Amino acid sequence: MPIHDQSYRRYGGLKTSPGRAWSVIARAGIMTMIRKRAFMGLMLFAWLPFVVRAVQIYVAANYPQTETLLAPDAKMFRDFLEQQDFFVFVMTIYVGAGLIAQDRRANALQIYLSKPLMRAEYIAGKAAVLFTFLMLVTWVPGILLLFLQVMFKGSFEFLKANLFLFPAITVGALLEALLATFTMLALSSLSKSSRYVGILYSGILFFTAAIYGAMLAITGDTSLSWLSVSSNLHQIVDLIFRQTPRYATPWQVSLIVVLGLIALSISVLERRVRGVEIVT
Amino acid sequence: MNDERKATTAGTGLLTDQAPARPLPPAPGFLTACLRIFDLSISEMLWSKRTVFMLLIVGAPVLIALFIRALVSLGAPVLEGPGGVRMTGPAIFGMMIWIFYLRFTIPVLGVFYGTSLIADEVEDKTITYLFTRPVRRSAVLVGKYLAYLGCTVFVVLPSVMLVYLLIVPIRGSLGGSFLDLLKDLSLLALGLAVYGALFAFIGAKYKRPLLIGLIFIFGYEQAALAFPGYMKYYTIAYYLQALVPHAMPNDGALSLIQNIFRETPSLLTSVVSLFGIWLVFLALAGWVIERKEYVLEQ
Repeated sequence: MPIHDQSYRRYGGLKTSPGRAWSVIARAGIMTMIRKRAFMGLMLFAWLPFVVRAVQIYVAANYPQTETLLAPDAKMFRDFLEQQDFFVFVMTIYVGAGLIAQDRRANALQIYLSKPLMRAEYIAGKAAVLFTFLMLVTWVPGILLLFLQVMFKGSFEFLKANLFLFPAITVGALLEALLATFTMLALSSLSKSSRYVGILYSGILFFTAAIYGAMLAITGDTSLSWLSVSSNLHQIVDLIFRQTPRYATPWQVSLIVVLGLIALSISVLERRVRGVEIVT
Repeated sequence: MNDERKATTAGTGLLTDQAPARPLPPAPGFLTACLRIFDLSISEMLWSKRTVFMLLIVGAPVLIALFIRALVSLGAPVLEGPGGVRMTGPAIFGMMIWIFYLRFTIPVLGVFYGTSLIADEVEDKTITYLFTRPVRRSAVLVGKYLAYLGCTVFVVLPSVMLVYLLIVPIRGSLGGSFLDLLKDLSLLALGLAVYGALFAFIGAKYKRPLLIGLIFIFGYEQAALAFPGYMKYYTIAYYLQALVPHAMPNDGALSLIQNIFRETPSLLTSVVSLFGIWLVFLALAGWVIERKEYVLEQ
């Protein structure tokens, strides 16, 4: 072919079927995070409560005299998931704040969306990065604890009596991870600065909790817990684990708030993630 | 050729003799440099997107106060506290100072602004322009820190004043709790100064200052205050909370535990410690920025 021929040439490579491109973004994002030493340190730190609970289960299974104090029950699994809230918060900011904000900052969104990649795939790929790590610090250790209980005790007795724990841990962790993922992605799409996104996310979490705290202190009534994002999640997860709900707010209201937040986040993402930015 | 060169040289020599080069003006002193950076930064800070965030944070308590005031004016029984105890305006004001300002607004604004003093310039790749000016690097930091202080103090304190004017007259008197208001305003300004200095250091030193800051205020400080022992001595909140003239509210399990293990250092200890923390971290921030090489990512 003469060197001056600049005419169009057809792509000769393999074509992946549509709807699978998100996995490329997800894989690249996950690998980028795994290569960071500080992130792996944080991940190990997030697994410390798992080690503590594993020791508790081991001691309760092997020393009957401690069973009354340390025996695992549904509440222990619920408490474990609640303890992971702090790590979920830190990980959400560490991993999620820059997911879309950095692409917007580098004007990479236009490049991404000029490829054979749908907007939904881009969002799914970015969401998968954060979602994977959040499930790694909530669902995976929770299920492993359940497995360890069976292994240390050497019987399926506990599992049979508490069979609901498997779906409870799954649904609880899923709800927590989905809420954190979508809110963070929506915020990340609103700004070009990942630091601003991080502070906005913390602001939403802690400020809504502060508003509820003030209302609780004034009225002494917990029925306004729907004002706090984290309280809504606690209320629903308590119910999933068959525990007495800690607030007077009906669980349906809490569920509506959580689902509403996810829907709002998806709507924000739909508006903000566009290949062409129209400047008026 | 040689004659030509001589003529030019001679000509140049003549010109030099007639108009000597203007001597370079001396570099501004540390204080003048600080004030110039302050002047440059204050308008940038005030008219930026982050001011919207700050206004939301300080505006929400005012809106809540307005809402409570409106409900009370309409006769709604919103002040029937726990156990049928009727709450007074000054008690609600004290509680709002604790929950909104002391536990949330002051540390969060400190983290947000303090960490971005230098990190913003690094992120925008504009730090080179500041560092190539004939001013000391630490003057850049101190000037920006003063701009942060001016910006936040003049937004947060008016918000506290508005909440005070709206809430305290409900079964209370403005005159009766005026002294408490002055104490509140002073301690909030002190809090902004100390948190700002700490996070200015963290922002100058570390690559991910926001995450470290958030872990410090929402993780370490909260946990340290809930444990007995010496850990709480290494927090800012411990000394700042000792200056609050209002009772600590019990608005959650963590507050309850913190109340159980709460120790109140003396006024002198608190003020001296806060001053010490402020001085040490501001000096450290200046020291770090004088020595650190900031690598701008491409």
